[in-house]
Amino acid sequence: MIAQLLLTALLMLVLVYAWSAHRTVPIIGLLASGAALAGLYFVWVQEHATALAALVGIGRGSDLIVYIWVVISLLIMLNLHLKLRLQLDMITRLARAVAIDRAKESRREKGPPRKRRAVMLGRKAEAPPIELRAKK
Amino acid sequence: MTGRIRNPWVVVAAYNEAPVVGSVVSGIRRAGYAVVVVDDGSGDRTGDVALLAGAVVVRHPINLGQGAALQTGIDYALEQRADAIVTFDADGQHSPAAIAALLAAIEQPGIDFALGSRFLIGATANLPVARRILLSAALWFTRASTGLPITDTHNGLRAMTARGAHAISLRQNRMAHASEILHQIAQSRLRFVEVPVNIEYSVYSLGKGQRITDALTISIDLFARRLYR
Repeated sequence: MIAQLLLTALLMLVLVYAWSAHRTVPIIGLLASGAALAGLYFVWVQEHATALAALVGIGRGSDLIVYIWVVISLLIMLNLHLKLRLQLDMITRLARAVAIDRAKESRREKGPPRKRRAVMLGRKAEAPPIELRAKK
Repeated sequence: MTGRIRNPWVVVAAYNEAPVVGSVVSGIRRAGYAVVVVDDGSGDRTGDVALLAGAVVVRHPINLGQGAALQTGIDYALEQRADAIVTFDADGQHSPAAIAALLAAIEQPGIDFALGSRFLIGATANLPVARRILLSAALWFTRASTGLPITDTHNGLRAMTARGAHAISLRQNRMAHASEILHQIAQSRLRFVEVPVNIEYSVYSLGKGQRITDALTISIDLFARRLYR
């Protein structure tokens, strides 16, 4: 009974997790919900777990529950992987905005391209052509 | 510039390309086009060399990948009111002469994309057998998944109108962006043409190019992208 209550509590947590995951990764939410509900069912109706396990050639109902737990863990790992990708999306947008802003600022500082003026004899040019200087 | 294109921009995504990016930018500038080089967090002097050669340089603070760099360049060009955008590789395997042919193609009414193809007239020099097999597999996959009757899937030479560029939003940061562009072209229902272009493979460009193992990474990226919003 203690193990059943403990597993039930854990599987309820998985259901909450699946609900939150559903908003960003619907397929993970759906699969994790299905696996958690199946787990809950088999935890409380163990004879069905044993019957299903025998049907698919696993052997014992408890092994089937362990396998379901492994599937849930893999789905959670996949979800974490996809969340990392979403984070990368956001980092990309941020880096892009920073890069473009800096480039525009740099062009503004340079000002519009100057027209080349004829250099008068005996007088130095006032400034070197800035567009040919690289930033150090 | 003749026709309806008045302000074309060439976008070059570059990562550690200091040995060649200067000559690439000079070639594009000599052909008369504005060019923005997106320095994708290079560890060498790629950005400085491109700037000296006459490009506008946009620097990613960190390395994000070629797809991310191209999207940054496209966004920048659109902010400069570009009416046509050409994507061009930084490794020196493309010829600036191809830009005019691509732009001429999108000047035709109703055409929003011109995709360079190295296989239309066999316009390819020094293409290794392994690379040819890899490209054939990518072509089969892309034709099956997009329905587009194209002859070359991973060619970095493309031109698009501003309308076409607004329809593109790359979220594949790395190599899978080439397939993603084709998917988005198919979804946008905008018209495209293929233009024969010459690709000059050198030891340098082959060293920087994709490997067989990259095909697996690209497949995983494309699959994972379909799983989340």
